[in-house]
This record gives sequence, C-alpha cells and structure tokens, in this order.
Amino acid sequence: MLHRSFKTASKLLLIASFLFLCGCENNFTGVLNPKGVVAFKERQLLFDCIALMLIVVIPVIIMSFAFAFRYRQSHPVKDYKPNWSHSVLLESIWWGVPCVIILILGILTWKMTHKLDPYRPIDGAGKPMKVQVVALPWKWLFIYPEQNIATVNTLVLPVNKQTEFFLTSDNVPMSAFFVPQIGSQIYTMAGMRTRLHLLPTSEGIYEGLNSQYNGDGFSEMHFKVKVVSQDEMKKWFAKAKRSSKSLSQATYRVVRQPTIADPAALYSGVAPGLFKQIIKSYHAPTHP
Amino acid sequence: MLQELIFGKLTLDAIPWDVPIVMGVGVVVALGALGVLGYITYARKWGYLWTDWITTIDHKKLGIMYMILAGVMLLRGFSDAVMMRAQQAIAAGSNMGYLPPEHYDQIFSAHGVIMIFFVAMPFMFGLMNMVIPLQIGARDVAYPYLNNFSFWMTFVGAMLINISLFVGKFAATGWLAYPPLSETYFSPGVGVDYYVWGLQIAGVGTLLAGVNFIATIMKMRCPGMTLMKMPIFVWSVLCAMILVALSFPILTVTLALLELDRMMGMHFFTQFAGGNMMMYINLIWAWGHPEVYILVLPAFGIFSEVAATFSHKKLFGYTTMVWAIAIITVLSFIVWVHHFFTMGSGGNVNSFFGIATMIIAIPTGVKVFNWLFTMYKGRINFATPMLWVTAFFTTFAIGGMTGVLMAIPPVDFQTHNSLFLIAHFHNVIIGGVLFGYFAGLIYWWPKAFGFTLDEKSGKWAFGFWVTGFYVAFMPLYVLGLNGAMRRLSHYDNLTWQPYFIVAAIGSALIFVGVCFQIWQIFISIKNRAALRDKTGDPWNGRTLEWTMSSPAPDYNFAFTPTVKDIDQFWLDKENAKEIGPIHPDKLEYNDIHMPKNTSVGFWIAMFSGLFGFAMVWHMWIPAAVGFIGMIGSVIVRTFDKDTDYYIKADVVKKTELAHFKEAIS
Repeated sequence: MLHRSFKTASKLLLIASFLFLCGCENNFTGVLNPKGVVAFKERQLLFDCIALMLIVVIPVIIMSFAFAFRYRQSHPVKDYKPNWSHSVLLESIWWGVPCVIILILGILTWKMTHKLDPYRPIDGAGKPMKVQVVALPWKWLFIYPEQNIATVNTLVLPVNKQTEFFLTSDNVPMSAFFVPQIGSQIYTMAGMRTRLHLLPTSEGIYEGLNSQYNGDGFSEMHFKVKVVSQDEMKKWFAKAKRSSKSLSQATYRVVRQPTIADPAALYSGVAPGLFKQIIKSYHAPTHP
Repeated sequence: MLQELIFGKLTLDAIPWDVPIVMGVGVVVALGALGVLGYITYARKWGYLWTDWITTIDHKKLGIMYMILAGVMLLRGFSDAVMMRAQQAIAAGSNMGYLPPEHYDQIFSAHGVIMIFFVAMPFMFGLMNMVIPLQIGARDVAYPYLNNFSFWMTFVGAMLINISLFVGKFAATGWLAYPPLSETYFSPGVGVDYYVWGLQIAGVGTLLAGVNFIATIMKMRCPGMTLMKMPIFVWSVLCAMILVALSFPILTVTLALLELDRMMGMHFFTQFAGGNMMMYINLIWAWGHPEVYILVLPAFGIFSEVAATFSHKKLFGYTTMVWAIAIITVLSFIVWVHHFFTMGSGGNVNSFFGIATMIIAIPTGVKVFNWLFTMYKGRINFATPMLWVTAFFTTFAIGGMTGVLMAIPPVDFQTHNSLFLIAHFHNVIIGGVLFGYFAGLIYWWPKAFGFTLDEKSGKWAFGFWVTGFYVAFMPLYVLGLNGAMRRLSHYDNLTWQPYFIVAAIGSALIFVGVCFQIWQIFISIKNRAALRDKTGDPWNGRTLEWTMSSPAPDYNFAFTPTVKDIDQFWLDKENAKEIGPIHPDKLEYNDIHMPKNTSVGFWIAMFSGLFGFAMVWHMWIPAAVGFIGMIGSVIVRTFDKDTDYYIKADVVKKTELAHFKEAIS
C-alpha cells in the first residue's frame, strides 16, 4: 500500500532526475538503470524513501530562505519578538512529523531488509544456479560447480533465472563483489563464505566490480557480466567444456598470484572441492 | 649491531629521492621552515615564542595554537584533495593519469587521516579552548598544564603523519586502515606504523583534552549557572567530550592490537591463525561513528549560538535542543554496524542498526527546526557567520537525507563504498561540521585577536566555498549511483569522465575560496586598527564571553560573574539601559590566583614524538630514550612546587580601566 502511494511521487522524481541529468536511462551504468530484480527493487526503495523524506527536507530548505529573506535586519518588519523561544504546539509538530516519517521508513526498512537480504532466495524464481566466487589479487575467479567449469574475470549468467553466489577471497585483503545494475554488493572475506542471490532480467553486457579497496590493483579489479538467453547459456557451457585449460591445483597456485588487469580466461575442469579447500586453508593453524 | 639499535630499519633509501612531486614539496616545506626559523632568530623572538606560546597554559593561546595547526593541516589535506580530483578528472580509459596507484593510495589515505584527525579535531579543540572557559565564567580550564600537554601531543601526532611524506611512506590502506590490508602480510612497509603511532600519540592528547573539558564544564561553572542555564555550545561540547572519553579508548585499544599484530606477529586481526578482521572493523566503527558526532555536535552548538546572536533573538526551544543533543549522544553508540551492512549479517541485525540510525534523524531534524524558528521573527544581521549558518541548512538537509537513505540496508547494498557515500559524508562534514567551524571562527575571532575579520573578502570566500562545494560533490552522487566506487585511481567508463571534470572544477572553486580566506586573514591583520573591537562585544552577543575586552585579559574575568539566565549578558545589557554602566573605578579589586607556565607538557610530547618515530623504524635505543624522557619529564614536574602566581589587584584594575576607556571612546 505504501508502495503504491509513493509510486506517483517516485515517478515524478524519476522524471525530474532525468531532466536534471539531461540524459536517457540507457546512459546510466548503475542502479538508476536496473537490469535485475534486486536492483530494480532497490531503485524503487531509493525513490520511495527520497519522496518520503522530501516531506521534511523541502519545507526546511524553503523556510531557511524565506525566513532569512523576510527577517533580514536591513529591511526590518514589525513582528520582532526577541524573547519568543518556546511553543508547545510547534515543537510537538517537529518532534511528531519526523517521528511519523521515521516510523513509516522503519517499517519499510524492516520489510525490505528482510526481503532483499542477499542470503534469501528471490521469491518465485525457481531453483537457483550456483556460482562460487573467489576474489583474488586483483581478479575474480568464478567456479560453476554444477557444470565443473571456471572463469577468470568474466561471468556469464542466464536471463530470468536466479543465481546463487557463494563468495570468499584468497591471497587478497577483504574485497566486495558488486554488479550495480543487477543487484546488491557483498563482502568477500578470507576463511569465510558469504552468499548472494541475483536475478538478471535483461540480456546484455554489464560491468561487475570490486567495491572494497584492497591494494594497488583495486581500480582494475573489474569484470564483464554477460547475461544471455537459456539457449546461449547452454552453448557457452559447451564452449567452456572444450577449453584446453583446466583449473587444477597447480594452475590455481599460479592464478592466485597477484596480477593486475588479467584478461578473461576459461577453464574446462576444476580441481574437486577447490572452493571449500580455499576457505578451509585459513582455518589451519599455519598458512602457506 | 649498534647501527641497527640506533637506526633500526631507517636508511637513506627511505627518502623518496626519485619522486619529483614529493621532493619538490619537501624543498618548499624545508625552505619555508628555514625562512620562519630564520625570521624568528633575526627578530629575536625565540624567548617570546617560548615564554608566551610554547610553554603557555592559557586556554586562549592554546586555542589559537590549535587553530593554526588546523589551518596548516587544512592546506595539506586540501592539496591531497586537489591531487585526487585532478587524477580522477584525467585518468579515464586509456589515460592512466599522472599518479601511479601506490601514490594515489597514499594520498587518499593521508587526506582522510589529516582532515579528520588534524584539521577537524584541532579546529574543534581550538574553538572550545577559546570559548568554553569564557562562556562558563571560569579563569581557565580545570587542568591548564594538561591542556598544554594535550595540544603538544596532537601537534606531535600531526608531525609524525607529515614526516611520513618525506621519510618512508604513508599507509596506503584508506583512512581507517582495515586489516588484513593493514597487516604486515599485505603492507610490510612503515606506512601503517606511522599511521598507528601518529594516531596513538594524538589520541592521548584528544582523550585527555576530552577529560579536561568534562571536568571544566562540570566543576568550573560560575555561580548560578546550573546545567540547564549553560549556553548551548557548552552543552554540545560537554556531550561531544563525553563521547571522546567513551570512544577514544576503543580507538587506542584497537590500534594497539593492530600494532601488536604488526610488531610482535600476533593474530588479532590477521586472516590466519584464528585472527578476525571483522573484529577490527566492528571496533574501529564503535569509535568511528561516535567520532562523527564528536565533530558535529560542537558545530551544532555554534550554529545555535550564531543563529541566536545574529537574529537578535533567544534560541528557540532550548530544552528540546539539550534533549536532542543528549539523545544523539546516546544513539551514536548503537549504530556502528551501518558502516558494513554488506558484511552479510542478515535481516534482523541490519534492520536493527538501520532503524537505530534513522532514529537519529529525529532529534537532528528537531534541531534544524529550532534554528529556523530562532530566525523566525528575529532581526537577522547577515554578517559572514550567519551566512555560513544559512548555507548550512540546505547542505545539511541534503546530507541528512542521503544519510538516512544509506541507513536503509538494501539502498546501502547499492551505495556502500561508492562515490555516493563520499558525497554524503563530505556533504555533512563540509556542509555541517566545517561550515559550522568557519562560522565559529569568524564569530569568535575578535575575542581571540581583538579585531573582527574583514567582511568583504569573507563574503567572497563564502561564495566560492559554497558554490565550489555543490559543484564538487553533487556530481559524486550521480557517479555513485552509476557504479563509480571510491578510491579509484583509474576507470574505464568514459561516461563518468564529464562528472569527474565538473567535480575537479568544484575543487578549483573551493581553492579560490581558500585563497580568499587566507587573503581575509591577511587583510584583516593589516587593517586591524580599523577593525578593532573596542567594546569586546562586536555582535551584540548574549553570553558571558562578550562581557570582557577583546582579546580577553589573561585572567578572563576580573570578578567571577553570577548567572541567572541562559542569555545573561543580553539580560544585563537590557537592565543596563535603565541604570547605566558601572564605572570600573568604583569597584574593589582583588589579587587573582593564576597557574604558571610550564614546559613539561612540551617536553613529554617531544619525547613521545621521538618514541613514536623510533617505534615506526624499530630504532630501539632512541625508543628507549624517548620512553625514559617521557617518564622522566613527568617525574621532574612532580618536584616543581612553584606552579602558581598572583596577578596583583592594581594590575587588574589598570587593565579593566583601560578597556572601559576604550569601550566608551
């Protein structure tokens, strides 16, 4: 219900922001141009909340200029009340109105935080495809455990199908996996596993990146996300299977070494249990 | 062996001979320092500098010294900002810009550390020192010698951070030095050690200054000034200092644990052997979030004082103001997780901290309305301090709104670590904190120096600063929503570049604003006779600091004042209209008991500086000398019984008469 009541305001805001930015949606490379269910809901929430807060913010800005103009000393008006400093009615209003707004925002926050919790599967989107993500210095390794293939710095996802990501990092400080146009970001931490659900809704090539500064190669630690149809996805899996390279233990030891701006790579096989092994290696009493 | 004990890891290679920018800056700084030192020697001012400034325990002079430190550091931090803006304006696509990542990373780390710890904090302590004892009718702070010591510790911390520019490297970890990046495994150099020891030393100064001001405000108020009759600035400082006392120990412990990891090979925050970096991130923000309020609460206090004074009207809703400050103080401790919602803590934890954060918007909003209604039905004098307040309303409304947006976890999943975040906190720290401090600086300047600041150049500075601020930071909101992250030294997306160029133009406008501020101070000093504040009350003030001459005499108040109202001085002036002023000749003066200057604070701080530098480079013998020096100086001080003196009654009378004559002239 809240959603609907602010929809009009949000739409106006959307239009206003377009006019302000003098561009069309397609020029945007972030949440303003969402291409996934999560990103779309996040944009909606962003606009709803801006609309709600403008109830207070706009009067404040108007009053600040109006009062400053009207009560300027250089043009004195008669109603000067130097000792008027208290009003139960007025003060109740400006405790009350923000309280109500924050109450609404709070309820919205509680609902949406649970709904858009990255760990929670997206409603009614079917069984997710699984992808394991390892942040490395300074590149991304993606393992498709169900297909037993892996890639570096390139991620291919099926359109309109939910993907569940399991994430960690190795040999690099804490990083964060983020595809702004498709959905939320989440940290990747050594020895720990985070989870994230995304559901892209439109085919195309998007920018994926690391949002958490993690050293010299940080700026170049981004990757392409290709969202393709189910058919093309199958074709791509088949292509990956034909790759001459395989991600064995030995290959992984090379891949985890620091490099900057590595080209995309494709691996037809993955050492069994590699993802789990990477996480567990940090739980050993000593580390290589 | 001996060489290692003395010099540790330090060799001549630590100086970055091959980096022309750093070497150029080094030469300029060295020439500047030589020039200043040469001038002091030539003008035979060393004795004056030593007795009147370095060893002073007078809160007013320490306030000025804090503000000079903040001003110089502002220039350093701002140069870093300009370099970053220039880099980002050009480093798009195939152009890698003029700074390699390893330099760029140090620059943004140094920018954050310097702006927060060595600009905002000293600026705040400078204003507090200048004003608090005067506002509560006290002769000085509760512990004047500690006050001098606190200043020198802050100074030494700042110097340690700045030395890293020329000797060794600074941390390339970001301003909060998150592990595991800041651990030896990823940052083996001395940069993080400079960071830790610089902040530890400055942190001691900050914590003790906080304790000092809590004691001052709780115990040194003049008769009649109950808590609910304190000027609102005093309230805001009291709450900010309570936050200092509660939160800075967390910072000290956290950094100490990090240094144990680095120096002793321990594993508090490493990735290995059971260390947990998320513990550091929790702890650092348990300090870091209150820190934001430590900075902004005094600014709120200044806005309140300035709005009331320049509207010639009582502050609206004093009681609600006090409660709002108190609520913010308490809530600031239960919101820290909003700095890392993307850790994956789950819906319940994230919503709790998100909603707690939003609740802070309520008392903050109340304060804004109170200020607005202070102006309502007033007579507003638009002198420069009031201009800053007026500009603040809009910047803070926008900054507050984007802050609440980021408090909503799903929105934060999109905006966290992006330039949206950068735009948000600069929006509140420049548009809230710095604007407030600038207003306070101009407002209280005459009380510190005896003349007001030039209004014309001040208005130009204001115009360029405010315009520059919007031009520099509004594009960052758009960039953030377009997926541009913070701390990028290079980017491939060419559609971002126009926004970065606009932002760079904004920083150039701010630069013009800064130049006007320097010019304003220069021209005001030149015309100080014409700008002389003869009455000691240039703005038609309301509180006790305006009752005495400008600059305030050494002893502050010839007689301890008595207070019946929040705006006591305003009331006194209303009453004096009927009975007329009392001639100081008719009064009976007493000797005034004063504390004596001491150099011990200076020496302890210098030994701490030696100790810190030695620990950075593992120079064990100098470290031992520094440590023994610190302890030794404290012991020497305990034998010093000659710590006070009296200002004679006739001297007081002469000073007061001189002021009276000037005031009525």
